[in-house]
Amino acid sequence: MTATSPSPAGSTVSFDSASAPGGTLVRSSRGLALRGLRSIVRLPSAFLPAMMMPIVQAIAFSGTFFAITKIPGFPTDRSINWYLPLACCMGSGFSGVGMGFSTVRDLESGFFDRLRMAPSPPLSLILGPLLACWLRVMIVISTVLVVGFSFGARLTDGALGLVALYVAGLGVSTIAAGWGLGLAYVFGDMRAAALMQLTLFNALFLTNAQTPLFIMTGWLHEIARVNPFTNVLRLSRQGFLGEVTWGDTWGGLAAIVGLSAVTLWFARRGLDRLGD
Amino acid sequence: MSDPPLDFPITATGLVRHFGPENNRVKAVDGVDLHVSAGEIFGFLGPNGAGKSTTVRMLTTLLKPTAGSATVAGFDVVTQADRVRRSIGVALQDAAIDPLMTGNELLELQAVLYGIPAAAVRRRADELLERVGLTAAADRRVGTYSGGMRRRLDLALSLIHQPTVLFLDEPTTGLDPMSRITLWEEVRRLNREGTTVLLTTQYLEEADQLADRVAIIDNGVIVQQGTPTELKAAVGAPSLLVSVGLPGGAAQVTDVVRALDEQGVKIQHLELSEPSLDDVFAAATGHRLEGAGTGTEPATDHEGAPAVKRRGRR
Amino acid sequence: MTVAVDALPVPRRVDDDRTAFTRQVLALSKRSILAIYRQPALVAPSLIFPLFFAALGASSFDRATALPGFPQVDSFLSFSLAGSITQGVLFGSAPTSRVGILIGRLAGAAVFGAFQALFFTLVLMPFGVSVEAGVVGLMVIVLAGAATGMAIGGFTAAMALKTGSSEAVQGSFPLLFIALFFSSAFFPRETMQGVYQTIANVNPVSHLVEGLRGLVIDGLTWGNVAKAVLVPVGIGVFSIALAMRTLAGRLAAR
Repeated sequence: MTATSPSPAGSTVSFDSASAPGGTLVRSSRGLALRGLRSIVRLPSAFLPAMMMPIVQAIAFSGTFFAITKIPGFPTDRSINWYLPLACCMGSGFSGVGMGFSTVRDLESGFFDRLRMAPSPPLSLILGPLLACWLRVMIVISTVLVVGFSFGARLTDGALGLVALYVAGLGVSTIAAGWGLGLAYVFGDMRAAALMQLTLFNALFLTNAQTPLFIMTGWLHEIARVNPFTNVLRLSRQGFLGEVTWGDTWGGLAAIVGLSAVTLWFARRGLDRLGD
Repeated sequence: MSDPPLDFPITATGLVRHFGPENNRVKAVDGVDLHVSAGEIFGFLGPNGAGKSTTVRMLTTLLKPTAGSATVAGFDVVTQADRVRRSIGVALQDAAIDPLMTGNELLELQAVLYGIPAAAVRRRADELLERVGLTAAADRRVGTYSGGMRRRLDLALSLIHQPTVLFLDEPTTGLDPMSRITLWEEVRRLNREGTTVLLTTQYLEEADQLADRVAIIDNGVIVQQGTPTELKAAVGAPSLLVSVGLPGGAAQVTDVVRALDEQGVKIQHLELSEPSLDDVFAAATGHRLEGAGTGTEPATDHEGAPAVKRRGRR
Repeated sequence: MTVAVDALPVPRRVDDDRTAFTRQVLALSKRSILAIYRQPALVAPSLIFPLFFAALGASSFDRATALPGFPQVDSFLSFSLAGSITQGVLFGSAPTSRVGILIGRLAGAAVFGAFQALFFTLVLMPFGVSVEAGVVGLMVIVLAGAATGMAIGGFTAAMALKTGSSEAVQGSFPLLFIALFFSSAFFPRETMQGVYQTIANVNPVSHLVEGLRGLVIDGLTWGNVAKAVLVPVGIGVFSIALAMRTLAGRLAAR
């Protein structure tokens, strides 16, 4: 049954009504991303904390730990230059797992069943929220930067430093979104949310988050040295501590690509197994 | 061009679904066989937890069967899940719709996910909104909709791609009688237009009113299958339910019984009912309170006297 | 129709009223304490996170203790114990759901605050932390934990009563975060600068932490005891009065 013949549902629309063509990856992802972005405005209670926490964290950490810049060899004399990129990465990470939260809500309400029954590529169910997440991250980082600059943060290598920060933030959010979505699919309820936050928090704090590696001692030094998120934070901080160099960039990029691949695979596997 | 219509758009053979670990296995569906004919409304009747929704979830590709096979619109639900999804419309239990979106936005998203050409999306959405009577509420967030409005929107969403096979999982559970009747009318209309409908319900009356054929499922197994008339005939001959007012009070029951006896009416069941507050409400307003009864029980007479309901056979 | 015997007016003496009141408070306190015990998922984070931060700090900031402005300490852990206790009590006030009666809830918060203070001190002791003020000092620290728990419990109760939802109490997290981080809980005020130092100077949390810290690293002095106990008591008087006023307002609105 095609073209303009009377359809079972009693209307005349020019497409094959017996079998829908199914949405393309790009169009479906865009549609789902738009839905994710609407929730910024319509559910501000979910978005505002992700926006405010990195701002408060950047200011609070740089104020309370101001003295660490006096340790000989510390890479900057502005504590906010050290903590601002950390706060941006934390905010990006929590924006990423936020996609997991909203997916848990959809799973619990049953709306996710409707999305899953649609003949669009399953990948769009991951890519759509991810696109929305990236835009949220751009908003979060930009806002944190504006506040950070007004509190004394300064770039040391111009726009290139900003690019490095945005890339790191988007990377952390991708890793976190994959992880959050995967856990949401595996658990299907709010237990996943607690696990998402806890693991992300640990992953980002067991690094050079608070002090450079050379200042650390003991067990944390050993963990932070091998934690790939240390490389991501190093990538994010370059433009605030000196020049952007390939040496401080490639490790972060490799960590982002590697961890994103792993967590997005985890998400895809979880999605495919929802019907098992 | 698509293929010619199938004789049986929905089939299931030995469909099984287990949940839980090996040592604590729950058999939600335990060998269901189904053949739903083209153009019929097929009622899937059973109590909560009987296996209705699990069967529907398997037929709509949301859940993989543990054993057995099923085809919908001629496609295997496991190996050709994508083809199945393109052909079916589904309105699941509870009408789970994103409360933050408007009716319009949801229809547009649904159209995008089903690959409806951009130029046709707006017209199709408008048609469906009009069809289910939600044009005025189209730009309101779904969170502000009533239960009946949500169900109607859910139905509209499931029709976005004009499916030939429609699954309705307990479409009227929790609805008030008026909303229920509106939805029934819409289902009948869709069926008249050629859509094959599989409808699950826990309401006997709903199955009786809507379904051409009914399967009764209990504990994951289909225990009866046939047209409502066939199924009722299998249980016994028809009986007559008569309501008799007793202006003289309950003592008059013996008079009624004696009179019937004299006429050779064999009484199967005798029940004395006193007027309830619901009857008072019905007498005062002309209709019953929301959700009270299914409309099958006769109201007591308006004088408020007790009534004898009896089912007899000559 | 039957009439319950205890609904009949029976003349009672003032002493009976007092006994009944005490019994009610005890019963409600017990209920509140049991609620803590029975909801480990709510309680565990407030015990684990401060220890996690203490461990992170010990590895991250040990070298910072040599900086000017830091007190003379053996390790950063000794310096940070007071901050850990304050952090734990601030973010770990008693579970708020359904325990609606103010007094029982405050008692629960106080007991849990005391427990947290003792818990953090005992856990960190094997890692080289010692309380210079001795056993008496430890008792003061535990008392300060109880007073802080009660003070924070008063605030969260006031918020819950004001909004009528226990979820709103979650909203107190950012406020407590700011109260904690804009203080000397993690680094000495002497190492801070500008507006930040000014805020930390007037933030009562700074003085509470410094009192506790004094007991840990200096010893038992009246000044330390006064700061450790009187600051949370002062905050508590204010917060409990606020909660009682809110409660009275709600009851009057019924």
